[in-house]
Amino acid sequence: MGGRTTSDLASTSSSDRLYRAYETVGFLPIVLVTLVAILALFVPHFLAVQNIFNVLRSSSYLVIMAAGQMLVLIVGGFDLSVGAVVALTSVSSAMVMAGLKDSLADEPGIIVFLGVAAGIGSGLAVGLINGLCVAFLRISPFMVTLGSMSIATGVALLLTNGIPVYGMPKVYVDAFGRGLWMQLPTAVYLAAVIVALVWVMQNFTRMGRYIFAIGGNLQAAIVSGVRTKTYLVLAYAICSVLASVSGLALTAQIGSGQAVISSQLTLESIAAAVIAGVSLKGGVGRVEMVTLAAFFLLILTDAMDLLKIDPRIQTIFLGIIVVLAVAVDEMAKRRTPVV
Amino acid sequence: MSNADVVARRNEAKGRGLVGWALLLILPILMVVMELAVFAAEPSVLSPRNVVNILNQSSYLLLFASAQMVVILTRGFDLSLGTTVSAISVASALAMTGLADSGAPDWVVVAAGLAAGLGFGALVGLFNGIFIAWLEINPFVVTLGSLNICLGLATTISGGRPVFNVPDAFSTLLYNGALIPGISIPLMLAVMVCVFLYFLLDHTVFGRSLYLIGNNPRAAHLAGLPSKRYLTLAYVTCSLLAAFGALMLTARTGSGEPNLGGSLMLESIAAAVIGGVSLQGGVGGIIPVILGSLFVTMLSNAMDLLRVGGYAQQILLGCVIIGAIFLDRIRVSRT
Repeated sequence: MGGRTTSDLASTSSSDRLYRAYETVGFLPIVLVTLVAILALFVPHFLAVQNIFNVLRSSSYLVIMAAGQMLVLIVGGFDLSVGAVVALTSVSSAMVMAGLKDSLADEPGIIVFLGVAAGIGSGLAVGLINGLCVAFLRISPFMVTLGSMSIATGVALLLTNGIPVYGMPKVYVDAFGRGLWMQLPTAVYLAAVIVALVWVMQNFTRMGRYIFAIGGNLQAAIVSGVRTKTYLVLAYAICSVLASVSGLALTAQIGSGQAVISSQLTLESIAAAVIAGVSLKGGVGRVEMVTLAAFFLLILTDAMDLLKIDPRIQTIFLGIIVVLAVAVDEMAKRRTPVV
Repeated sequence: MSNADVVARRNEAKGRGLVGWALLLILPILMVVMELAVFAAEPSVLSPRNVVNILNQSSYLLLFASAQMVVILTRGFDLSLGTTVSAISVASALAMTGLADSGAPDWVVVAAGLAAGLGFGALVGLFNGIFIAWLEINPFVVTLGSLNICLGLATTISGGRPVFNVPDAFSTLLYNGALIPGISIPLMLAVMVCVFLYFLLDHTVFGRSLYLIGNNPRAAHLAGLPSKRYLTLAYVTCSLLAAFGALMLTARTGSGEPNLGGSLMLESIAAAVIGGVSLQGGVGGIIPVILGSLFVTMLSNAMDLLRVGGYAQQILLGCVIIGAIFLDRIRVSRT
């Protein structure tokens, strides 16, 4: 098909324009808005301030993790270890802070700094192992991250024997974990900053374009002189570090280091990315969509909580929704003519 | 995929050269070395009792890993395997205890349990297969969905508690009966499944087609194979095998357990891939699965005997997975 002439454009009906608007924003925002409208009308307390806070806070953790997961998916990989990284971060940061509690009692700032460094450091270590194995040993990402998941979970459990680690500075828990800045939970700002950074990275930096290129066509990327291995390692490292950041925020909110923090986080992060249209084949994915998808998942969970639906049945719903969302997306894509 | 790649794969799948055979023996050699090393520290590892124990233990994993292998051959995998096992355990136990309470004869009760389990398995397989083959949705997403659905079902219908009082007749049939003296029922059943899969994969059009679908889906389509039907059937086979394993596990525990499948999904994939089944599809068979399951079982048995803690075992297993896959990469690139 050639270019449209001006008369073509002028004569486009309003339904056409609507369709084009739909094409640019996609399926997800519409579903999300509809969902919120329905829930606001029919579910009592959905619009209560406390509830909105809860949704925002819990989606922040998922948004941060899903943004990282998205980067790895874009380079055509997978990260099954993010949940384990959250657990490892939680345990290592809490243990460092608890260990320094007595010797540095007057310097909570240093304690927090070292604890955060330990948490991020352990995440970075896992990410580097993942990335190096995938990029240089060319092992399937599924198996590498399956292995590192097992290792990280094992280390977290071994360090704590499965017992929660208490003794983090009060200021860390109260100001960061459970605190409000300008009426909003701190984790929301953290998530917003991270989404903004990833967005800028994806849209305005060479690295962002290289990451898309690697996932879109690895051979072409290599031939064009992209240092693919470096960027592969970077994608895995960033993913793990973001999981660590999420783990730190979660730990601060809970108030203790937990080795069994949540087994569902990994699958949820992948589900959010996939619902957002991130292709498991690589090369496609936008962080703003992933953010919306994470909201979508948590709003749905929250609504089911408010409606007092048994959490066990909620799992069934979530399963169906993940499959349906992707199925509908797939159908819509196929209907769009390839020009 | 490059042409050379395809040729290399085909060579591996069919006739192996001398080097191919030597590399194939890496895993058995590792197993022997491991057992001898453990023997030095803990002689009981090679006692007849422990060897029998390893064989019995591995028969369950063998079933689940071979289920997984059937779909991995087609470039897929089944994340829902673990929770399917849980749901089937609960569903069959509920069917049996319900009927037993109403005073039905033993054989009816057991038959109902088997039917409920296998029927549920077939349904899950159909669900996975239809979404993956006909709607062409990524297996990861579909089976992630069915993972959640089965998890929810398992915990809902059981109320989150084990279902006790599974009739003894069921356990006799699938666990502690003695059809052939000296050979346990699980081992016997596992051997039967192996023979069945060997013939299915090597001597039927369906089986051979799975290799082609995994190796080159376009070629399979152009060759006029009913790819969609076969792919669906592969997922049904996978879930049926998993269902069979779930029934055997239920017979062993004597109760329907909503958490029975906990780590099975990852273990089954790990065992299959460690044995040499390629996640890229098209490469695998029952022998690699036997080797992989034996290896994983021997490893955890050895660690148990050496009193390695559960957490440390988890770390070691992770390292072994990565190491084994790395060895596999070398093997593939050498052939």
